Amino acid sequence: MSDWPARFEEELVRLGLQPARARRLSAETAEQAGEHGTDPDRLFGPAHLYARHLVTELRAPALVSERHVSGPVMLRLAGVGKRYRRRTVFSGVDLTVRGGEVAAIVGANGCGKSTLLRVCAGLIRPDAGTVHRTRRVGFVPQDGGTASWLTADEHFTLFGAAAGMVPRKARSTGTHLAARLAWRPAPGQPVQQLSGGTRQKLNLVLGELHGPDLLLLDEPYQGFDQGSYLDFWQQVRAWREAGRAVVVVTHLLHELQNVDHVLDLGAAGGNR
Amino acid sequence: MTPRPWLHGFLDLCLLAMLRDQPDYGYGLAHRLAVAGVADVPGGTLYPALLRLEQQGLAEPSWAPSDTGPRRKYYAITPAGLDLLAAQADEWRRFRDGVDSLVGSPEVAR
Amino acid sequence: MTALVVAGLSAREMSRRWTALLLLISLPLWFYLVRRDLTGQSIRMLALGIGWAVSTLTLFVVNASRGVDPRLRLSGASVTSIIGGRLIAMTGAGAMLALGYWALAGFDQDLPHPWAAGLMMLVTAVVAAPFGSLVGALLPRELEGALALLSVCAVQMLADPAGLVAKFMPFWSTREIGTYAVDGGSTDMVWRGLAHAAVVWLFCAGLTLAVFARRLRVARYPEP
Repeated sequence: MSDWPARFEEELVRLGLQPARARRLSAETAEQAGEHGTDPDRLFGPAHLYARHLVTELRAPALVSERHVSGPVMLRLAGVGKRYRRRTVFSGVDLTVRGGEVAAIVGANGCGKSTLLRVCAGLIRPDAGTVHRTRRVGFVPQDGGTASWLTADEHFTLFGAAAGMVPRKARSTGTHLAARLAWRPAPGQPVQQLSGGTRQKLNLVLGELHGPDLLLLDEPYQGFDQGSYLDFWQQVRAWREAGRAVVVVTHLLHELQNVDHVLDLGAAGGNR
Repeated sequence: MTPRPWLHGFLDLCLLAMLRDQPDYGYGLAHRLAVAGVADVPGGTLYPALLRLEQQGLAEPSWAPSDTGPRRKYYAITPAGLDLLAAQADEWRRFRDGVDSLVGSPEVAR
Repeated sequence: MTALVVAGLSAREMSRRWTALLLLISLPLWFYLVRRDLTGQSIRMLALGIGWAVSTLTLFVVNASRGVDPRLRLSGASVTSIIGGRLIAMTGAGAMLALGYWALAGFDQDLPHPWAAGLMMLVTAVVAAPFGSLVGALLPRELEGALALLSVCAVQMLADPAGLVAKFMPFWSTREIGTYAVDGGSTDMVWRGLAHAAVVWLFCAGLTLAVFARRLRVARYPEP
């Protein structure tokens, strides 16, 4: 495709690179394809996905032993509290998550895990404390968050439009991200006909569609079968490798070995 | 061929080592990696790694014309790259010996 | 741009809810058929039926997107484009419904001012969209919203058009323009109706936007 370098450059700029640098990288990428005697699409895949990949690769530190050095802070909570009328949901919550790290929020039912995640997203305001957060954030709620009568493709278009992507690009990105979760959306099938697990896959893809630096996931694997569940944690590791920050609400304690931070909100309604 | 996740960690090390022997450009490096039997590195993995080395001052680029196609970007290792390579190569050997001692034939181990 | 995508997809979403759509499209027809022998009565009932159908449909669409809206905001969409896009879709659907019933009434009845009858139905549909979205914004459950719409439409039908109560109802413009279309008289009535419709539209659209701007606000945290 002849407009590959243009689309590549545009996406680099959108991801925050200086326009001059984006232009240089785009020209170089075309030359690299030339070295291999092929076109960029064949060598690197879709322009916008390679742009994302390149940007995260450039952020990662070089060499083996440094690979797990964490990136810049993506989320910082300091003394965050939330109360509904007189009931304190949680208080004094501190949490810092950097790029390349995974944090798990655990605790009993009703202890405010989902509320805290919505505070991180900015959908609920905290009553106490301060929140610092990177601008580009993806949020995956526990359930809902989709329109029952639209197909997966239409969701990609809708959420892509919200992030300023043209429909064609949004759809191809969505399809690629879905493939990583071993899911190929069937055309013309509205979301309400999907199984619970597949709907959660759609939810995950929608949270990631605009290439956020911070992913907020609220028990996103409900209804997953064993294979999908493994795919999911594989995906979490891939995000971490790519220098993204992940905050995941979970009640599965055996997964905690896979994460960098554990925030225990304690018993229901308890104060931390 | 090396499984991809392993390669990911060691690609930078391999690239610096090859650049220590002689400056090279992307396709040449990919070829050398394949000939050495390390891996068939896809372009989408190789070029970002090279750019990262450049950005972190471990390799220095220069442009040279080619007989056949467009000009080529050659990379040469910098003093900082050499330092890092020396340190990492030691670490790699220790790691490799350790793994060898565990994986190696039973009469060697223990 | 975003608003147009929202509009297009809302229209598609609506078109898939076959049963609800069919019931709502046919609703004005039943209103009309009951007193088909009385031109004035049937035309006014028809228009009110259109108003109720379009506002209820809008209510459904607004309620169905409750889960999606906050996520669209987080992805970067503005409240105006989300709410505006939905209003565009519902107004378009309402206009099509009005056009269809105008054609029916034009064939079936002998009207002194057919264009005014068309205007009445169109104005009703255009006012019904923001009115339905306002009720949807204030009452979160479909059943509650539908009952509220039913009450408003019933009061509108039964209230004395000259009285104060009727003037505070959203579809008073329908009655005014309708009277001119059926019984003739001064064109002042048309202008009064249009002015009332404009005020109701601005009020409903503005309040809907205000409610959602509050509900869908996203905290702007500083970067770390």
